[in-house]
Amino acid sequence: MSEPSYADALPAQYRLHWYVLERVLGQGGFGITYLARDTNLDQAVAIKEYLPVDVATRRPDASVRSRTEDQGERYRWGLDRFIREARTLAKFDHPNIVRVHSVFEINNTACMVMRFEEGENLGALLERRRTLPEEELLRVVLPILDGLELVHNAGFIHRDIKPDNIYIRADGSPVLLDFGSARHSLGHARTVTILVAPGYAPFEQYHSSGENQGPWTDLYSLGATCYRAISGIAPLDAISRSKGILGSTREILVPASTIGSGRYSPGLLKAVDHALEFAEKDRPQSIAEWRTELTAAAKPATRAAPPTAATAPAAAPAASLRGPLIWATLGALVAAAAVVLWLVPTEDRKKFADERDRFESQRREFEQQKTRDDKRREEEESARKRQREAEKLQTAEMNKQRAEQEERRKRDLEAKRKEDADRARRDAEVRKRAELERKREEQARRAEPVAPPPPKKAPEPAPAPAPAPAPAPAPDLVALAAQARARGNDAESLALLRKSADQGNARALFALGEIYAAGRGVPQNSFQAYVWFSRAAHAGNAEAKAKAEQVKAALQPAEVQQADRLVR
Amino acid sequence: MCPAHGRAVATALLAVLAAGCMTQDKVGDAINEVNTVFRGQYESILAQKGTRVFAVNHQAAFPGVRTAMFRLGMRMDSQDAGLGYLNFSAPAPRPLNLQEWREVAQADLPMMREIAARHVGLIPSWFISFEPEGLEIVLNATVIPAGAGSEVSLTMRMRQVTPPPSGMPRREYAPPTGVHKGLDKIWAQIERELGVKSRSP
Repeated sequence: MSEPSYADALPAQYRLHWYVLERVLGQGGFGITYLARDTNLDQAVAIKEYLPVDVATRRPDASVRSRTEDQGERYRWGLDRFIREARTLAKFDHPNIVRVHSVFEINNTACMVMRFEEGENLGALLERRRTLPEEELLRVVLPILDGLELVHNAGFIHRDIKPDNIYIRADGSPVLLDFGSARHSLGHARTVTILVAPGYAPFEQYHSSGENQGPWTDLYSLGATCYRAISGIAPLDAISRSKGILGSTREILVPASTIGSGRYSPGLLKAVDHALEFAEKDRPQSIAEWRTELTAAAKPATRAAPPTAATAPAAAPAASLRGPLIWATLGALVAAAAVVLWLVPTEDRKKFADERDRFESQRREFEQQKTRDDKRREEEESARKRQREAEKLQTAEMNKQRAEQEERRKRDLEAKRKEDADRARRDAEVRKRAELERKREEQARRAEPVAPPPPKKAPEPAPAPAPAPAPAPAPDLVALAAQARARGNDAESLALLRKSADQGNARALFALGEIYAAGRGVPQNSFQAYVWFSRAAHAGNAEAKAKAEQVKAALQPAEVQQADRLVR
Repeated sequence: MCPAHGRAVATALLAVLAAGCMTQDKVGDAINEVNTVFRGQYESILAQKGTRVFAVNHQAAFPGVRTAMFRLGMRMDSQDAGLGYLNFSAPAPRPLNLQEWREVAQADLPMMREIAARHVGLIPSWFISFEPEGLEIVLNATVIPAGAGSEVSLTMRMRQVTPPPSGMPRREYAPPTGVHKGLDKIWAQIERELGVKSRSP
């Protein structure tokens, strides 16, 4: 967690209740995911901490705060959604959907505890192998569809399906992770995230309204994931596709049925192209519908022999002579598609024109939104810069004050040392003079033996040695605990009382009894109250015995016997 | 473990009371006698199997007991490692599962009906059922050093999540079969967690 790329992450060994963080697994737009250890159950878990980087930041005390006061409401709204969604996700118990164990609020944010899935993400697998044969691809996609159906039926959409969010466990089974973007229940969309995965997010996800999103949105992303596994590359991102359709560029998506022809069954390729339809209404509308298309495709009679990664043409185009030929063919197809688009009949042109107008208006809206977002980000960045400078100045001022204080303290110390030395020197001189005086008197007495002894002069008392400093009195922990409690710090008060109680202090033992009897800062617990009052009574607190009898009435006889064994 | 309970008794009996078949006092008497009978059996079971000794030191035994309880679905409400005290609760019938719960009901419901029948009559007693809703099981565990090992003792009670109907006594003792099964299950889980067999003190 010391990686500089995770500047906002909590440090390793940081404790969140009984979870101890080990390292960062990843960071997205909405939060940071950690690998942690559940010290109660002694098992690894994944913890996702809500930290939307665009509106919130980490403070030195580990709490998360909105970057500005204006963003506080937005942050709080997102936090509430995060918690509510975690509670909903916790209800899904499906082998192909990541299991959510718990959610809790801490450090002014919230953490979602999930099962830690070990394995390789599909993104990395495809990076390594480029493509997957048909059977293997279906072994990944079909179980994910089953899990996703459960999510859709509960009114949620995932919104961030991509190869990196699909994990392949050691036994080959897939699991869909990271529901961090499952932010909007169907039919209740509000503002939408612009943080989308290019290539895997359909066009409707780029718009602020989010009205047109539904199961077909996730199906587009799954289709795009299949496309990547078939072609070895992600599909064109939806914005580029929109420009291609509008005719402002020549970028159009080469269909999977072209790119995967001969290597995958036509049914599968057709299903993938169907899911990747640009307009949402042209895509399959439900998981069940698409599953039917896919499973029909999976029938052995209609499927070509699945290629291996080594033999798949798309798997190693650079290493094969067929590569350039394929790309040349694709280029010709792109050109042909452009000509066909230009030469379509009038009705179709009208249809295209309507579509173009719609896309154009959506694109304008998107660009306006983007401009607004850019401006807002600039303003926020500028505010952050000002705040950083103010903090820097404040820190410098504090450092200066600290240095001055330290200087003053040194001066005072030096002056005191000098004063002590002077006093010691003066004392030594006084003692020396007294000794000389005493010797002179002794000599005079010896010189005049017949003379009556002069009246005895009381010897000048030698200055008493400086008394040793008295040992500092032991701090009264019970009084300190009372002060801490008055400050509202129940935890500190309890710790101080506990320390004092361990030393056998009857007042502290009695105070602990009262805390547990009343449930002040701790859960009310008559059992513990009885134990502490009884211990206080043993330690000599007169009032404690009556109190112990009082709380004993709330206990079963068996509980009293059990508690008495802790008192002895 | 939470088998029979005050709310079920009270609700069922109050329904019959509303029909004019009995008085509220009789319902209260029925609950009190169920409590008394169950308490006697509970204390006798605890004397037999409420305390066990494990050949592991306190540092290992304390977290082991805690983890075992978590695995049985109990949530921890309070702990004090210095004292050796742990307090757990969970909605009834945990730590028993529903199948075990049905077995408890099958074993103890006739006795509960028989006790109630003495106060409210035979027919109203048939209305008594054995549902875990509205009840929590509360467990106290203590872990104290015993020679080179640790002595673990358990007590349990039922707690009504919702307040009892006015004037009705609380039912706090679990039915005897539930106590038996619950303790057996907990000791087995702690033995698995600590990796040692327990013995009587």
